[in-house]
Amino acid sequence: MSNIAALFPLVIIVAGALLVLVLEVFLKRENKSYLGFLSILFLIVCGFLCVRFWNKDYAYFGQALFLDNLALFLALLFCVAVAFIILLCLKYISSQDANHGEIFALLLLALSGMMIMTSSSDLLVIFLGLEVLSISCYALAGLRRKDERSGEAALKYFLLGSFASAFLVLGLAFLYGASGSLRIPVVIDHFRAGSAAGLLSLAGLALVLVGFGFKIALVPFHMWTPDVYEGAPTPVTALFSVGPKAAGFAVLLRVFLNFWPASGETGLIFWVLWVISVLTMVIGNLVALRQTNVKRILAYSSIAHAGYILVAVLAKDNASLIFYLTAYLFMNIGAFAAVIGLSKKGKEYLELEDFAGIGFKYPWLGATFAIFLFSLAGFPPTAGFLAKFYVFSAAVRADLVPLVIIGVLASLVSVFYYLRIIVYMYMRDPSGEVDIDIENPALFLVLFLCLYGVLQLGIFPGNILVLIKQAVASLPVL
Amino acid sequence: MSFPILSVVTFLPLLGAILLIFIPAPKKNVQRGLALAFTFVVFFVSLALYFQFDSTTPEPQFVEKAAWLGYGINYHMGIDGISLFLVLLTTFLFPIAVLSSWTYIQKRVKEYLLFMLLLETGILGVFVSLNLFLFYVFWEAMLIPMYFLIGVWGGPRRIYATLKFVLMTMFGSLLMLVSIFVLYSLYYKATGVYSFNIFDYYKMILNPQVQGWLFLGFGLAFAIKVPMFPFHTWLPDAHVEAPTAGSVILAAVLLKMGTYGFLRFALPLFPDALMKFLPLLAVLSIIGIIYGGLMALIQKDIKSLVAYSSVSHMGLIMLAVFSLNLEGIEGAIYQMLNHGLSTGALFLIVGILYERSHTRLIKDFGGVASQMPVFTAFFLVCMLSSVGLPGLNGFVGEILCLFGVFQSHKIYAYLAITTVILAAAYLLWMYQRVMHGPVKNEKILSFKDMNGREIAYFVPIIIMMFWMGVYPQSFLRKMDTSVNHLLKRVRNREKVFVREVENRVIPWEQIVPKKRAAEEKKGDE
Repeated sequence: MSNIAALFPLVIIVAGALLVLVLEVFLKRENKSYLGFLSILFLIVCGFLCVRFWNKDYAYFGQALFLDNLALFLALLFCVAVAFIILLCLKYISSQDANHGEIFALLLLALSGMMIMTSSSDLLVIFLGLEVLSISCYALAGLRRKDERSGEAALKYFLLGSFASAFLVLGLAFLYGASGSLRIPVVIDHFRAGSAAGLLSLAGLALVLVGFGFKIALVPFHMWTPDVYEGAPTPVTALFSVGPKAAGFAVLLRVFLNFWPASGETGLIFWVLWVISVLTMVIGNLVALRQTNVKRILAYSSIAHAGYILVAVLAKDNASLIFYLTAYLFMNIGAFAAVIGLSKKGKEYLELEDFAGIGFKYPWLGATFAIFLFSLAGFPPTAGFLAKFYVFSAAVRADLVPLVIIGVLASLVSVFYYLRIIVYMYMRDPSGEVDIDIENPALFLVLFLCLYGVLQLGIFPGNILVLIKQAVASLPVL
Repeated sequence: MSFPILSVVTFLPLLGAILLIFIPAPKKNVQRGLALAFTFVVFFVSLALYFQFDSTTPEPQFVEKAAWLGYGINYHMGIDGISLFLVLLTTFLFPIAVLSSWTYIQKRVKEYLLFMLLLETGILGVFVSLNLFLFYVFWEAMLIPMYFLIGVWGGPRRIYATLKFVLMTMFGSLLMLVSIFVLYSLYYKATGVYSFNIFDYYKMILNPQVQGWLFLGFGLAFAIKVPMFPFHTWLPDAHVEAPTAGSVILAAVLLKMGTYGFLRFALPLFPDALMKFLPLLAVLSIIGIIYGGLMALIQKDIKSLVAYSSVSHMGLIMLAVFSLNLEGIEGAIYQMLNHGLSTGALFLIVGILYERSHTRLIKDFGGVASQMPVFTAFFLVCMLSSVGLPGLNGFVGEILCLFGVFQSHKIYAYLAITTVILAAAYLLWMYQRVMHGPVKNEKILSFKDMNGREIAYFVPIIIMMFWMGVYPQSFLRKMDTSVNHLLKRVRNREKVFVREVENRVIPWEQIVPKKRAAEEKKGDE
């Protein structure tokens, strides 16, 4: 149904971003956190609209921008994620010398980019959203201007990201040449017609895959991830690990999922994805074993999780994919929140050694971090277990047993490095140097909400599952 | 609706753990008292299971069923004659474990008790779940408290031991998870109904090749847990490093989860594969028996001696399970209980010695009997129970196991009998070196005999040892029907298969009327 209301959530976020940018000039350095609260207000309004628009299927610009349930669900998810990040930023930016009001504006702009990506059926518009997201991300990564690693992260991300975008555009051009349109239904129909697919469209599809593979950090397009994650300000890293990934997978969901079970040439793409998924799971987890920096461990773990999610794409199980993204959001932001909690003015504790003994020294921080790590490792009764459970059981139902066996063994490897962090936290004696500034109510609010999310999704996910089912029902059935 | 007794028993410790969080850390005795009170209440509630248990039916009893996540994932609990006593063993040993760590654990008491209570919930959950998903959730979740118990309160090599324990167990469980998925998807494809209910899976007849793979998946998980040779390597490490109560629970209850898994899942679900792998499994069990016994002989550390004796005893239990007759399986279950009692008691004995001397090496002891007469008596009974002296519980179990094995395969029985000889050798020798002879170490002269608390938790164990040794009927008769039913399931399924060899899953409709399938479908939604 064509209705200008489809634009409202996006307009609100962009307006919020611009307003924050303007007000930033007039605020004193100490008062920048007001901007954070203002941004959260905008997020709440946007979230409220998303809830109200549920089942309404508003669209505008001739279907180029529409709000089906999937787009709304993901928009809501992104709003929650960005709200968490803003709460985490409030204290972080002043204590870590990144006190720029722009961070809130950039976060909101990144959010608008993600929303555009998930709520469009035109690949060119999706590309537009991707660029809005990417450029905000480059700036966010470099926000700690006095830290060399932050600058390096921004530059690296920018250079490699531009390459990926170039690949994506080239792929889109090929697709356009082959199918005559960039609207997803037309492209899909072109592929489903089968015989006409040809080399051009296949190359286009592969290049599009490269572009998105970069964004969601699939092996072998993952090289930027650890450095960028390590260098970027930690709350921003938390966003990187969740937001762009979820948006990228949402696009894969809309574009790729429906091509199969067509055999022949698209079967090739299936096997390419199969191999990528295996590589992502195995390499992500194996390399994480060797890391001693917690941010890098979480970076490689986020690569590995992209591999598990890709299994859901291969299994063509949309609901379990979305559930995984939801669960991953809570557990990963929660884990990063705990890492952020372990800091004091001008200093972050990120090496494994720094974590020695903090479990008993700061019981709440330690316990919640441990629960998030158990969830990431896939222990019941947490969200991480149920997410893996749904994905792998769907994959077995789709006759992908070898893939599942590789997947569970890879996750066994991951158990080792997640537990290693817990070993340091609880089973090593404190090194004595770590002295953190524990007073941070916003952070504890995030920790608590993520903990609630992880347990609710792990034990009684009933309501969320219903929502997810309604969300994926809006995908075309082929 | 009747009183949900199984849920109460399972989740009461969890409630205790939650309450424990709110007690301030310095009030250690309040925390200990609370944990003890909860484990006691759980035990008394679980006694009702024994008295109300109907031994005439093989059907699961005290069943609770509620919809949970859909797609066949239900909250489904119940016990039969096989799981009844494992539940009771667990609830019986936990108050003892809490009492035994009263003074042993001095640092981080609150967290320790918290994990003990969580562990109890996890273990009980494993034994009462009838839904494979629920089972797996408990099976995995129970690793977390054990990981902390060994890793935080353990000995010098605790981190190595605990990671090895978790990773090896997880390796098996994850492959089991894949097998569960395969079963789930096969069942769905055959019937169009989603189910994780094990009784539904019992009705499914799979082609033997698929069975073989699935049996390997399940069997590996359980074999690591038992542990069977050659998957036993985590056990000595975990036992030696774990705190006393951790070792007690590990030996007495956790290992039984493996044997229970064989009885509940691997045997009845995959009878054809079982027949194929039977010789291999039996040989591995026998190797475990002899290897464990020989290793126990040469141990210098009392605790690792007891740990290797566990490998040997569990080997006999597994061999009896694979004998597939009434005596064998009842003997195996009975021996599971005995092993829980006597090995648990031996670990407690080691704990008592260690608390006094801070060493566990046999050569540091000698002549302890002269200083600790009461302790000597308890030690003697526990040791003889583990050796299998007639009149004590171990004898009944071992003789039943051996009868069973003898009926099915004589040579296995001849080999298995070495367990009794070896056990007598390593245990008596150890007892003699520790308790008798000249006092080698001056510290021993200052040993105090057992105090009231220690006697209090040993007395129930000793009573049970005598009771189970003298009057086994009160236990065995409760299992008869369930074990017979299990055997029928394993044997008959095999015959059905021989009669109609088909290279596919037999459609559901041939096994139950369509109407019922439709009803179940309705019920699941």
